[in-house]
Amino acid sequence: MSDAVHGYKPAAAAERRFALLLLAPSLALIFVSTVLPVIYLVWTSFQHEDLSMPYLNGFDGLANYTTMLGDGQFWNALALSAIYTGSTVVLQVAIGLGLALAISQVQQGQGLTRLVAILPVVLAPVVVGLFFRTLILTPTFGVFDYFTQLVGLGSHNWLGDPGLALISVIAIHTWQWTPFAFLVFLAALASLPADIYEAARMDRASAFRRFWHITLPLLRPAIMIVAILRITVALSAFAALYAATGGGPGTATEILNLYAYRISFSELQIGYGAALAFTLMIITLVISFLLFRLRRAR
Amino acid sequence: MPSSEGGVRHAVPMIRRRSLLRSAAAASAGALALPAILESPVRGAETALAPYLEARIDWQMAKGERVHVAIIPTIFYAGWKKLASEFETLTGINVTFEEIPPGLIRNKTVLDLSSKTGTYSTHFADPMYYPLYAANDWVEPIAEYLNNPKLTDPAWYNAADLIPAWVAANSYHGKLYGIPFDGEATVQVYRTDLYSAHGLKPADTLEQYAGNAAALTDAAHRIWGAAVRGFPGPGQNMYIYPSIYLEFGGHWIDQNGKITVNGPAAEAAVEWYVNLDRKYAPPGVQNWNWPELADGFSQGVLASYIDGSSGAPVVVDPSRSHVIGKVGFARWPKGPSGRRVASIWNWGFPINKALSQRARYATWLFMVWSSCRATQERTALNPPEGTVFRVGVNRMSLLQSPGFAKLAERIGTNFLKAVSDSILHDTDPDWRPRVPQWPAVGEIMSVALQQALVGQATPKQALDGAQQRIDQVMRGGPAKP
Repeated sequence: MSDAVHGYKPAAAAERRFALLLLAPSLALIFVSTVLPVIYLVWTSFQHEDLSMPYLNGFDGLANYTTMLGDGQFWNALALSAIYTGSTVVLQVAIGLGLALAISQVQQGQGLTRLVAILPVVLAPVVVGLFFRTLILTPTFGVFDYFTQLVGLGSHNWLGDPGLALISVIAIHTWQWTPFAFLVFLAALASLPADIYEAARMDRASAFRRFWHITLPLLRPAIMIVAILRITVALSAFAALYAATGGGPGTATEILNLYAYRISFSELQIGYGAALAFTLMIITLVISFLLFRLRRAR
Repeated sequence: MPSSEGGVRHAVPMIRRRSLLRSAAAASAGALALPAILESPVRGAETALAPYLEARIDWQMAKGERVHVAIIPTIFYAGWKKLASEFETLTGINVTFEEIPPGLIRNKTVLDLSSKTGTYSTHFADPMYYPLYAANDWVEPIAEYLNNPKLTDPAWYNAADLIPAWVAANSYHGKLYGIPFDGEATVQVYRTDLYSAHGLKPADTLEQYAGNAAALTDAAHRIWGAAVRGFPGPGQNMYIYPSIYLEFGGHWIDQNGKITVNGPAAEAAVEWYVNLDRKYAPPGVQNWNWPELADGFSQGVLASYIDGSSGAPVVVDPSRSHVIGKVGFARWPKGPSGRRVASIWNWGFPINKALSQRARYATWLFMVWSSCRATQERTALNPPEGTVFRVGVNRMSLLQSPGFAKLAERIGTNFLKAVSDSILHDTDPDWRPRVPQWPAVGEIMSVALQQALVGQATPKQALDGAQQRIDQVMRGGPAKP
């Protein structure tokens, strides 16, 4: 027995070493492609790095972060990020859940519904942005504008009016990603145990009470996962928004991600842009962490 | 072999004396004709290359190199791209083009230059970016190439013939950083038929221009009086606004060297700009850049616009224009200060410093070939079959040539005079603040202008906000280091 134990330890250690050896390339790749860029981002955020004034470049401590606190456009972009993320996620969950509940009751044609539903999700966001900008929402000539004129609501500058532009980009994001929530909820609904519903029906629980007291609590993990995934994606949304409005008109749809891009690549203030990007990363991580905690709480 | 394998041995023809003699005769005739057959394409190529072979340089000095060029997508560069195969024959250098939309080409090329990846050997460079390139030492001073007899035959190339205003625009602190390839001046483009019907003349002042627009706008019949670029960007709405600002008496840099974008002159200029696009331009003009303006005009919904003269091929393109024969041109209207200020614009070619010396030579040869008189004439006035003409010739001798005058007649009323007068009299290299910080200054101003245009801020609020941000970017320092 003792021989076996003595023999086992070196074998386990060797196995661990071998496992590490096998993992090493993947770990190295993750380190190089993910960890190193983040470290570089953090380092850059403490630098004054401005391509148009290279003679001033150097370590700048927390200057970029103090600039951020006094930058009105940063707070405006942050508020727009909150509105954009909050409204798109709520709409996706609400519409996705409603559709899933409705479709789950239909036995015929669910496969086709899933196929159609997945189409917007597989489109590249930049294509979606251009599609809406050029074909759907163009004043006078766009398909949507044509219908609003037809029903007497008149022609509107959907992406050129500051008020309408924000609503339009929220609608575009919701259109593209609601099917994702719908598909997750449809799968989650299919896995719910039928006996609980049968017992509730025997107790004469109404449809609303069955939904409120059974379906919703059982769907909670799926809802939380959808919310977490959609929040992280909405906070870092870029391509569709950039293609549809470029953050405009003016700064009406310039969420934090687009603002960080503008500062870094159009204004060439790389250091300040890095500070904005890192701040966005921290906000995303904190929200995700809190939601994960909330998911585990009950 | 097939006969034995396929079991068709009988199919092999028998060789007879007569057929042998016939074949021999045919082969002899072919052999005699061969030099002539081979010679014709060679002679054709030689004819096409003849103007370049007059240059006393070794075109083959960088044979085998590759030149990758970032350009913007537009129909009037198709002829030049088509002729690039001749350059490849002439030099043995492989040329590839990458088309990047105007709104992105600056970002992509700056990324390439700053990361020193050497992706683009050269690119269509915005003249406003040379101070940035020079400050970072990203591109080569052109003089080293222009004054090297191994690389340039000065008599044949004749650099003095390049349009002086464009050479000035591509220079910074006295050094030339980009060779002008294609350019323009901003001019009024108007519908002669509509103007005549309303008894109007092309505007001499900004006030008259807005008045003409008011008289012509008839939204119910889908006619809008005038428009200028609304799309935000340093090369988009900030391509038009600087002329208005200077015409209203504005100055970009004050006596202390500080960039100034607000104040009464700026507010009046923005008011005029916002008023014109809001009242008299088609809906959606906030997102219109020059291609949309040219398309709107050629579709007949726009009675006039002020923009670059090089959009002319679009407005007179028979395949898409409904206004051919009804197009007139005039200089920028004068502002309240009495000045006319046209843009000073050209796409120039810089040399990427991240390249090896041999690749830089290859790039220079491509630049010489593209900007020399022969190529300019062949791509502008006599474009290859199936391509459209180009009006942004880079040489005074071509601008003032009978060939260009003939082309100008085809384009529309007063085109030649409007363009020539604008280039010669209305351009000012400092029509925008030529500082390394221009990308940030231009970007901030472009956003402020659009905020004012869409009503997100009043002109004063937008300009004061922009001034504050520009002060922050400049860190309170002077515009020029």
